[in-house]
Amino acid sequence: MRKLEPLTSFFAVSVILLGIGIYGLTTKRNALRILFSIELIYNAANLNIIAFARLRDPPIVAGQVLVLFTIALAAMEASVGLAIIMLVSRLNVDIDLRKLTRLKG
Amino acid sequence: MTDLTFLALATVTVASAILALEARDLVYGAAALGITFLGMAGLFFLLDASYVATFQIAVYIGAVVVLILFTVMLVGPQMGEPPMELKRLSLLTALLVSLLLGTAGSLTSATAFPGPDDCGFGCDLIGLSKTLINQYGVPLEFLSLVLAAAVIGALTLAKADRKG
Repeated sequence: MRKLEPLTSFFAVSVILLGIGIYGLTTKRNALRILFSIELIYNAANLNIIAFARLRDPPIVAGQVLVLFTIALAAMEASVGLAIIMLVSRLNVDIDLRKLTRLKG
Repeated sequence: MTDLTFLALATVTVASAILALEARDLVYGAAALGITFLGMAGLFFLLDASYVATFQIAVYIGAVVVLILFTVMLVGPQMGEPPMELKRLSLLTALLVSLLLGTAGSLTSATAFPGPDDCGFGCDLIGLSKTLINQYGVPLEFLSLVLAAAVIGALTLAKADRKG
């Protein structure tokens, strides 16, 4: 039987990823980088959910189901966000969010 | 106690997450993001969530990273980020936050959250699929509706000719 890694380590990785994501969200200007940061935060949340679902004996199956839903929703959000970025890049030259003034064609 | 596999996976995940945000070229950033997702799938494997890990690889690396790469190519080269200026205040804040987190982490003992070694039904593929279909069948259908709506919305947004 394989020994399970202490769940605290997984929480640590999750916190670090959340911190990196928030850092990118607040300091970056490129819209694509901000989308990267959002994806990182999604992943940190997923890891947290899976690790906490593993805590109980027996583990909670609903945690994994929830993460499956979250991954699908994150993919959906990324597709809509990338469509908006492409639209913005057609209307404006740059996708710098602080210089972005036009969203309507 | 700390498993070598876990250490390697965690290091790769965190390092490539930093690289995804800090790489000068957005293409390299997208590739690093893909490596982050791969490391995350490995961490899911370590937590005995093998189906979720497979789903993560299929959806994130198969769909999201490819979409991001396409968008990076279509949007074209961007002006680089202005070099980050490190103010004294932000350095102090970073120091304080890491000190706080480090103290909290060291106060928590490594075995404060002992998961059961044997996963059993909870990580079984059969158990997972039974729960998914029997208990969460209706949300699953709604999820497919939401996905269809998102696809239609993205197509409408990115449509080439906008007359209306």
